[in-house]
Amino acid sequence: MKQISDVELGDKAKSSSPRSGVKKGLSILDFVLRLIAIVGTLASAVAMGTTNETLPFFTRFTRFRAEYDDLPTFTFFVVANAIVSGYLVLSLVLSFFHIVRSNAQNSRVLLIIFDAAMLGLLTAGASASAAIVYLAHNGNTNTNWFAICRQFNSFCERISGSLIGSFVGVGVFLLLILVSGLALSRR
Amino acid sequence: MANRDSITIDVDQETRTAAKLEKVPMLAAPKPAKRGLKKGIAITDFVLRLGAIAAALSAAATMGTADETLPFFTQFFQFEASYDDLPTFMFFVIAMAIVGGYLVLSLPLSIVTIIRPHAAAPRLALLILDTVALTLATSCAAAATSIVYLAHNGNSSANWMAVCQQFTGFCQGASGAVVSSFVAVVLLMLLVALSACALRRT
Repeated sequence: MKQISDVELGDKAKSSSPRSGVKKGLSILDFVLRLIAIVGTLASAVAMGTTNETLPFFTRFTRFRAEYDDLPTFTFFVVANAIVSGYLVLSLVLSFFHIVRSNAQNSRVLLIIFDAAMLGLLTAGASASAAIVYLAHNGNTNTNWFAICRQFNSFCERISGSLIGSFVGVGVFLLLILVSGLALSRR
Repeated sequence: MANRDSITIDVDQETRTAAKLEKVPMLAAPKPAKRGLKKGIAITDFVLRLGAIAAALSAAATMGTADETLPFFTQFFQFEASYDDLPTFMFFVIAMAIVGGYLVLSLPLSIVTIIRPHAAAPRLALLILDTVALTLATSCAAAATSIVYLAHNGNSSANWMAVCQQFTGFCQGASGAVVSSFVAVVLLMLLVALSACALRRT
């Protein structure tokens, strides 16, 4: 009886090492993607938060100074990007734990749930700001909303550029959920 | 009597086959409790999917049919508002229709996960596709929210006037559609969480 159990234990150990190698590779990919997303979201928050333009002339009726907190949507964008980049830094710990112990299941499920919530927050901030940036570039004749980019050039360039990092973060979060789901479903 | 060179130990036939049967755990059926749990998760997934279909399609319909014409006019202003006057609202209607259509098409996949609770491939496919749908739904809901907020409050720094004070019916329709789309977003997040929980191996 002892011979049978030894042989079968040996077979099990050999067949699980390529599978755990794939899981370990997926966990390392997860870690690297998180680093990229941190850079993207942090850069977006900083780029939007430090915009500031004052035109060199003024009249009695119009303000000629543009900042990110003049539009509540941009304030939401900065706050959302800051929250998501803080969450990503904290989740690096859990991601590293998954590299070391690739067979953890419950913590991967928790990570997927939190990643989905943060994906929603980041997408909301990015697309709300994209709608306002579109309006700032083009205006709207039906509601008589004037395109402010015609006056504030560098403010407009800055806010348009800061959207890029945020949307890169959205794409990375999609990949993160895909990678975590793949690692979870493999036996 | 055996000789001294080799010793044979005679294990009788029954104990040998019993040992073999014990050591084949991979082919045994999964425990009925875990199968019942996964089936329950799949049924909840199906029901939530039906709710999300209702929310997404009603959001698209409400925004698409919200239009208002005021009974007076001047030379400079247009006094008619409908969803295609604002490109963001057009994106909202189209994207919500796409999300609603995807949810209807994913109902068979959800039924497959009810019938076969232990298959991982349909659940993984549902997880990925639900995440993409969540992104699209959140994106159009948030963009429409920012425009509706602007229409309600205006913005003094950019000299943008609050349009809702004139077009009250249109504004109410647009706001209701945005609320319904956020219900669809929450349901989609729950669907993603359920798929993740059900993907764990037994």
